[in-house]
Amino acid sequence: MNRKLAITIYLSTAIFFALFFVYPIWHTVKEAFVTTDGGITFAYVIEIFQNPVYVEGLVNSFYMGLFTTVLSLIIALPLALLANTWNFKGKEILNSLILVPLILPPFVGALGIKQLLGQAGALNSFLIDLGMMDAAAPYDWLGEGRLPGVVLMNALHLYPIAYLNISAALANVDPAMEEAAENLGCHGIRRLFRITFPLIMPGMFAGATIIFIWSFTELGVPLIFDFTRVTSVQIFDGIKDLSGNPFPYALVVVLLVLTVMFYLLGKRLFGQEISASSGRASTGRSLRDASPVMNAVCIGAFSLVTGLAVLPHLGVILLSVSNQWYGTILPSDLTLQHFEDALGHPLTLNSIGNSLKYASLATLINVILGIAIAYVVVRTKLQGRQFLDAMAMLPLAVPGLVLAFGYLAMTREGQTFDFLILGENPILILVIAYAVRRLPYVVRAAAAGFQQTTVTLEEAAQNLGCPPLKALRKVTLPLIAANLIAGGLLAFSFAMLEVSDSLILAEQQQHFPITKAIYALVSSLGTGPHIASALGVWAMAFLAITITGAGLILGKKLGALFRV
Amino acid sequence: MVSIQIRGLEKRFGDVVALNQLELDIHSGELFFLLGPSGCGKTTLLRSIAGFHLPDAGTIKFDQDDVTQIPPHRRETAMMFQSYALWPHLNVFKNVAFGLEERKVSKAETKKRVEEALAMVKMAGLGTRKINQLSGGQQQRVALARALVVRPRCLMLDEPLSNLDAKLRIEMRGEIRRICKEFGLTAIYVTHDQKEALSIADRLAILDGGNIAQVGTPEDVYRCPRSALVAGFIGETNLVTGEVASISGDNVYVKTAIGDLAGRPSDPVLPLEPGTPVTLSIRPECLSIETTPPARNKIAGHLTESIYLGEVAQYSLQAPGREEPFHISELNPRRVIRDTEQKLYASAKPEDIMILPYS
Repeated sequence: MNRKLAITIYLSTAIFFALFFVYPIWHTVKEAFVTTDGGITFAYVIEIFQNPVYVEGLVNSFYMGLFTTVLSLIIALPLALLANTWNFKGKEILNSLILVPLILPPFVGALGIKQLLGQAGALNSFLIDLGMMDAAAPYDWLGEGRLPGVVLMNALHLYPIAYLNISAALANVDPAMEEAAENLGCHGIRRLFRITFPLIMPGMFAGATIIFIWSFTELGVPLIFDFTRVTSVQIFDGIKDLSGNPFPYALVVVLLVLTVMFYLLGKRLFGQEISASSGRASTGRSLRDASPVMNAVCIGAFSLVTGLAVLPHLGVILLSVSNQWYGTILPSDLTLQHFEDALGHPLTLNSIGNSLKYASLATLINVILGIAIAYVVVRTKLQGRQFLDAMAMLPLAVPGLVLAFGYLAMTREGQTFDFLILGENPILILVIAYAVRRLPYVVRAAAAGFQQTTVTLEEAAQNLGCPPLKALRKVTLPLIAANLIAGGLLAFSFAMLEVSDSLILAEQQQHFPITKAIYALVSSLGTGPHIASALGVWAMAFLAITITGAGLILGKKLGALFRV
Repeated sequence: MVSIQIRGLEKRFGDVVALNQLELDIHSGELFFLLGPSGCGKTTLLRSIAGFHLPDAGTIKFDQDDVTQIPPHRRETAMMFQSYALWPHLNVFKNVAFGLEERKVSKAETKKRVEEALAMVKMAGLGTRKINQLSGGQQQRVALARALVVRPRCLMLDEPLSNLDAKLRIEMRGEIRRICKEFGLTAIYVTHDQKEALSIADRLAILDGGNIAQVGTPEDVYRCPRSALVAGFIGETNLVTGEVASISGDNVYVKTAIGDLAGRPSDPVLPLEPGTPVTLSIRPECLSIETTPPARNKIAGHLTESIYLGEVAQYSLQAPGREEPFHISELNPRRVIRDTEQKLYASAKPEDIMILPYS
């Protein structure tokens, strides 16, 4: 590529990041240390650590992140090991289905979990019917503090990330590494711990990091569970009286600093990069055909996990068609009224349209930026291109809540970027917010495509008289289309389900995206939760259509959708 | 050190027969080579002996022990992998010590033996290095030390030198032979590089289509190939088909499209009588080029190509009645013939023309 063009791309993406990534974070940080009369103070941050409510919130957030991560790994690791050892029946389908929960909206699922595991929920009703539980004193599965429910929902949503990372790491282990251990007398579980786990540790850590950061600052699920004693919800509640209150900012800063600290600590403990030896792998990994027993074990494990992860969403579907569901296993009275209501409700139709609009625009930005950045990083020798790559990945490491807050702060009245709020319409800032957070997925997908497509194909086109940009368009882009579609779809799905930015930045009803509409409905009285469920089902239906459509386009490569 | 007996070994991958009723004896303490074109089954055979493949039929014995069903971690072989398979999360010392730890050798003994092994491969003092700090040649030495340190019943080498540059390859193959002989190891070495095999093997086996095509010492196999395939795989050769005309003393006269040639059967028990179809193998270095007609084994033609390489000149001689030109190597050439018009003659001694079964 022409050097001038590469530099132009470099600079424009760098400016984009400076404006919409660095600046909002810096703005938030600043607010946390500046008093109303312009002096610098540490009082706010210090106060956070002295106020028992905030400290409890931080401790709970840490537990939320830690337990979610551990539970996700416990779910994902055995599955990944099974899938990387055995060929079993229906593996391709099960391997794709296992990833589906990643695109099911977790805060909608939370509604379902409450319905299934609540004190008057389906499980207790079932146990009471069996006579295994006293109807007068039903057990509270979700725990008094609601943390178990939140962690379960988070883990059932996020384990696919661990699964993908561990699978990729396992696939990258030269099978000779394991055979060499076997050959020297090390076998079975012992080999797993001495050789395999250390080798996949960096991959496992990469997955665990994303899950931890995601769940440490998760907002939607605890909100639905009324679990108010976590930092994310405290911050969210704090914006109601934002102008005068510096503590939400201080909390955001503390959250950001803690995230970075945990990340660095984790990297030091587990993430030591180990580069493989220079030799070529002598054999490809050959999977063994499963015996009938092993077949049953594999199919059982995959079905069980997928089933469990989908169960909350089935609960949502049931909730959406029920008139009355309290203290019974299944809804006692079915209706389709809520779906009609959902479509007739002033909030809902608007919000579906809004979400589609915001998510599509954000995805478009992502695909364009993603191709540009990946091209510069993979195909040019431009100095500092690794910096661009690292920068494009950074949004994964910064909590969505932190950024959302930054955007809010920088577009407030009187601030430089106030103009981005077009007379109360948050479309610009929301699209930007959606795009920044999802950019890493598209950049990774595009970069993988460029790496797998040898540059000589483009050179051959240029050699035959095709100008560079045209060669890119006519040769490489069609070849990496599958990657781009996959990355774009993932970005689109996540944008449709986005919670932090949506809840914080959309203030007027007519501009609500789906997630905020659902949140507003859940907290309204009467049939609110049912209509919210119906809207959630509509949202899931949209995503299902999108992903299925992509599956039809990509054929068997559907699994590549999730290979971030 | 063990001897290895393989009887009726069979291994299939789906419809592909990788090993077909294979029989092989490897003597105690010998450096034995498995050679063959890719896909011939040599790596499958090696991996079966190490236990990574469970054969579909047949037996493998180490001395008197039938190890056919023994899993790899209890076979006490030690394999050096083509990719070395050094574990990047362990340093050099820990890589080498791994097998001893698995064998519950005491700490002090482990330390002593690892240091000995590292010294033997000229890596003394580098125990604390990380694997990714080593060059390819050093990794190769560590992999060898890791295999040797456990004092295996049989050492297995799977194309151990294929990732090294040419100069290092020549140096390391000498090292490997020295170490094997020093310890009297039974070693099985897989390669597709015939020079490697010819230079250091005690004996070698050529595999073809999951079968042993020929077993013997390097000289045997090179001088007396038993089939056209072996002759063509080890070294270069010119193959001529014909039929036996007469037999007189040691010499067998064969009628071919380019004239009568006198040769000797590579296998003394090969049944030959007038009329038997045969294939002749003549190595390029056995042919000499002459400007005047030789007394016997005369091949007439003209040159299509002359290549001068310093120590050797290579000629292609086109003989009428044959599509392929003859390849002729002349050692220490004083002058190179480049005239493609001139009628020239090639000739070989009868003892250098090998008579093989027709193929």
